Amino acid sequence: MKRLGSLFLITLLALVVVVTGCAGTDQSPEKTNDASKPETMFKAQITFNGSSTLAPVISAIATDFIEKYTTWNKVDPSFPEENIAIYVSAGGSGAGVKAVLEETSDFGMLAREIKDEERQKLGDMREFRIGIDALTISVNPENPLSKVKDDLTTEEVKKIFAGEYKYWDEVESSLPHREIVVVIRDLGGGAHEVFQKAVMGDTQVRSDAIQAPSMGALVAKVIENKDAIGYASFGMVNQNAGKLVPLKVDGVEPTEENIVNGTYKISRPLIVVKKGELSPEQKAFMDVVTSEVGAAIIDKMGFVPVR
Amino acid sequence: MYRVFDRVFTQLVKILTICSLLTLVFVIIFIFKESVVFFKAVPVLRFISGRSWNPLLAADNLSILNIILGTLYVSLVAIVLALPIGVGSALLLAGYVKGQLRVVIRGIIDVLAGIPSVVYGFIGLLVLVKFFETTLGLSSGESVLAGGILLAVMVLPYIISTCHESMEKIYREHAPSSQALGVSRSYLLRKIILPESRRSILAATVLALGRAMGETMAVMMVIGNAPIPPRLFGKCQTIPSLIALEMGMAEVGSLHYHALFASGLVLMLMLLVINLILYFLKKNILLQ
Repeated sequence: MKRLGSLFLITLLALVVVVTGCAGTDQSPEKTNDASKPETMFKAQITFNGSSTLAPVISAIATDFIEKYTTWNKVDPSFPEENIAIYVSAGGSGAGVKAVLEETSDFGMLAREIKDEERQKLGDMREFRIGIDALTISVNPENPLSKVKDDLTTEEVKKIFAGEYKYWDEVESSLPHREIVVVIRDLGGGAHEVFQKAVMGDTQVRSDAIQAPSMGALVAKVIENKDAIGYASFGMVNQNAGKLVPLKVDGVEPTEENIVNGTYKISRPLIVVKKGELSPEQKAFMDVVTSEVGAAIIDKMGFVPVR
Repeated sequence: MYRVFDRVFTQLVKILTICSLLTLVFVIIFIFKESVVFFKAVPVLRFISGRSWNPLLAADNLSILNIILGTLYVSLVAIVLALPIGVGSALLLAGYVKGQLRVVIRGIIDVLAGIPSVVYGFIGLLVLVKFFETTLGLSSGESVLAGGILLAVMVLPYIISTCHESMEKIYREHAPSSQALGVSRSYLLRKIILPESRRSILAATVLALGRAMGETMAVMMVIGNAPIPPRLFGKCQTIPSLIALEMGMAEVGSLHYHALFASGLVLMLMLLVINLILYFLKKNILLQ
């Protein structure tokens, strides 16, 4: 009996190992097979991979889409009656391009421009610019800076965030001698990447800057602390209009118009890419993403939709 | 027939136990495996003795001495604040409060342990940090002290319940004889119960320290998350908050991602040491 028991245990252990070993990989080979089949095959499943900035947006649109239609035949009567499944996973913009190249997912999501070498590798590709993520340099309304001058040069912004200006009166002599409180997002994240690239260049942000755990927390800090300055996302500033003041950078005001036409430079595009032609069901979904419904969701998530 | 059921039951319980043990083993193996990748690029010693953490620069700049110090500092501040209050409350509960009232107070203290940490963090951000800024005139209220005060409130229930149990036992043991001798109650509490329960106080301290070091959400909201050398009124970064802050954005498979696992491993080892201490303390209490 004892031997039987231990035998049983060993089998169970082996099973556990096998099952856990499979869990991570059992879906991908199936997907790869699907993708390599001719496009005439109907696929009830659409997969997205890439930028963690864009992932929640696509997720929200997909949830909306699935709730509205449930099965494909309700989207278009010519589609079979199968449940809609849209999977969104985040792994960074680079991972998005890689996933499309290796055909492990249908679409890639990028929160930056597509690099030329990536374009070459992708060859025949479709590109959807669905929105723009812009960061505004914002201060507390009680900060006299917004009254004295509502415009900072890139150089000034850089000096403030790098810690070269420690007190507000160093920025503008009429301001009080109070310490500047710099609020940023985590250094490895997407928002900081945009700021680093557009403003800081090779200079590093001062190491005692407050790293807010979310964009909401960053905005809350600027609203709460009158010496604070931070790069609040455009959408969040609009949601909290009046509670924090976005400044002009190099004389350019962060308005929707300036962001879309590219004059306001602390921004990045949100792009969805697809290698090759879209299947009808993929097109049906992307039509929703690029429609007014999609734009409304993009707007709600704090980004500027490209209409 | 009963014997068969008996055996099946015993085996079932064994399997379930092994499952839970396996989970732990898998977690450890997984974290270790993910960390090793990073340690191949950056030596362990450099990782724990270096002072800079900047995921934007080369992997050499990923080191966590400041963050380890921050973790310890915040936790120690919390213990220093919570221990006197906790031991005092436990003494009061053991010696002065009787019957129904004691049950009610214990219940309230247990509720304190059940409040989600994000709620504590939110209160800390809006009340504590704000207080530091407006009343103490700090430019930014996020500080080691704010984190310490918040954690002190959070570990208080653990200290009180651990101390209270053994104090009550000792009180029951000695109360009749001290009453017979006509000794005052405060004398009994000061001279007998407090020294006698020193081991459980120590155990409570270690338990609370472990709890404080692992706390993520509440601490992340009030310490400012700047990986600089910690000062009492300055910002700092702790290992759990570092992982929570950066894991979501770290590119899977990058050195940054593996470095976060490596810091998780360091935290786990620190907690393991603390738990071992707790184990030996408990064993000694039983031997007593």
